[in-house]
Amino acid sequence: MTDTCEETLGVGLLCEGQHDPGTPPAGLRRAPSGVDGLTTEHLIINMGPQHPSTHGVLRMLIEVDGEEIVAAEVSVGYLHRGIEKLAEHRRYDAIGTLMDRGDYVSGMMGEHAFAMAAEKLMEVEVPRKAHWLRSLASELNRLASHLVWYGTFGLDTGGMGQFLYAMRDREALLDILEALSGQRMMFNYIRPGGVVADLPLGLEEKIRTFLSTFDMYLEEHDQLLGGNEIFQSRVKGIGVIDRGIAQCFGLTGANLRAAGVDFDVRKARPYAAYQELDFEVPLGTKGDAWDRYMVRMEEMRQSARMIAQLIDGMPEGPHTAKVPRVIRPNAGEVYASVESSRGETGIHLVSDGTEHPYRMHYRGPSLYAAQALEEILPGHLIADVVMIIGSTDIMLGELDR
Amino acid sequence: MLPAISDIERLLAALPDVAVAEELLGVVARVSLADAVPALVAIKAAGYESLVDFDGIDTGELIELTYRLRSYALDTELYVKTSVAYGGTIESVWYEYPSALMPERETAELLGLHLAGHPNPKRLLTTDGVPPLLRKDVLIRSVEEVKAR
Repeated sequence: MTDTCEETLGVGLLCEGQHDPGTPPAGLRRAPSGVDGLTTEHLIINMGPQHPSTHGVLRMLIEVDGEEIVAAEVSVGYLHRGIEKLAEHRRYDAIGTLMDRGDYVSGMMGEHAFAMAAEKLMEVEVPRKAHWLRSLASELNRLASHLVWYGTFGLDTGGMGQFLYAMRDREALLDILEALSGQRMMFNYIRPGGVVADLPLGLEEKIRTFLSTFDMYLEEHDQLLGGNEIFQSRVKGIGVIDRGIAQCFGLTGANLRAAGVDFDVRKARPYAAYQELDFEVPLGTKGDAWDRYMVRMEEMRQSARMIAQLIDGMPEGPHTAKVPRVIRPNAGEVYASVESSRGETGIHLVSDGTEHPYRMHYRGPSLYAAQALEEILPGHLIADVVMIIGSTDIMLGELDR
Repeated sequence: MLPAISDIERLLAALPDVAVAEELLGVVARVSLADAVPALVAIKAAGYESLVDFDGIDTGELIELTYRLRSYALDTELYVKTSVAYGGTIESVWYEYPSALMPERETAELLGLHLAGHPNPKRLLTTDGVPPLLRKDVLIRSVEEVKAR
């Protein structure tokens, strides 16, 4: 394991001399085709943007020497919708709809990050119950998101059954989220000041019913995929993102923790109700695709633990603070971040005191994970590419914004 | 967590025109464009091993760039700000912080800047001919304008 960027970048296949400014990183430094004499002529393969394993519309240019990748370039932007520009023309209470369309598989976290940033500028005190409802919504959404990752990661390795089981459980979660927010995916539930609505009647019981079987189902999921020797042999040891690569490529979330870095925004910079919850942050050791799998599976167990605590300890009180119909926060500049399903989602918000943000920058963790692919893919086989992409759990909607 | 202002001032003492202050954003070190790269090199050497965010703001007079740096060992975060004129050139810091590779491309593309020393200074999100969308002088069309086309 390496600890610094210099050490990390010095060990790549084509990384020699990487310290010099102007020398491209491994993935971008293509070897001229056929010049190395003893090897076959290099081919450049265009993978995506419609390839089923690219989880959206990621396009990759892969240069291969036979079956082995010598360079990779990530090409993005196919889902760019100008969310940051659009936010400059929306009122503060309407920007949650844009955040939902960033990371559309876990929209609650994006809404949460934006609401926190706006609240810093508004100097509004969010009621305790709103904090708990936000954490509850986020953890339910994290489970739904991780189940999508689990199902599709299995598909990447050739399995089919686990995807159907994952969708079964996700369906139950989407029903719960629909009852809570009125929407199955584009929630717009967490808004500056609090949340839109309190827990509806009967939802608590519905969540308890879900939890009563989820732990058992989760063990089944883990056995079905993680207990499969073929799956293990395909993911163990590939796509190693060690501590050095993870830190210098700005990775966060499970991709960072799988490398052994103990940083979870919920613990390191507690927000919402997380300070009052008992949960653990799972860590990996090697940072390979298997470690990332193990970390996310354990995160699901911890999320289920938190949901049970949130239901048991849900405080009384209002679910939102009193906020004006048209929000005009103080002029200023703030940054707020949350631990989303894919890592640290950050909002850099600048207000000029009017009803629209002057500037909103949306930091999505997938962008950083995607660019790290250029560093880690060289040296692997073509067949490993889909598994490595799947193991990093990138979300193209959030990457392109 | 916030770093001590005195520590950051000591770290950047060799550079002229550095102002370090605690703002609503956090602890912010403001440096000139020429000092941005030396400041980031010094900050990295002090243990801020990760550039976790980078973006730009069109202030109406120039483009303000914000680097968000994190030290996992010190458990602190620091912001470095610098400014560049419209259409100006920024020096890439990818060789210190590889995480800057794509955010720099995006910022240059969406705010109309040029990148120097970047190994792949292509557009990231939009195609050739698209104006720098995050500049304040680039307006998005209203529904009425679109209907009238």
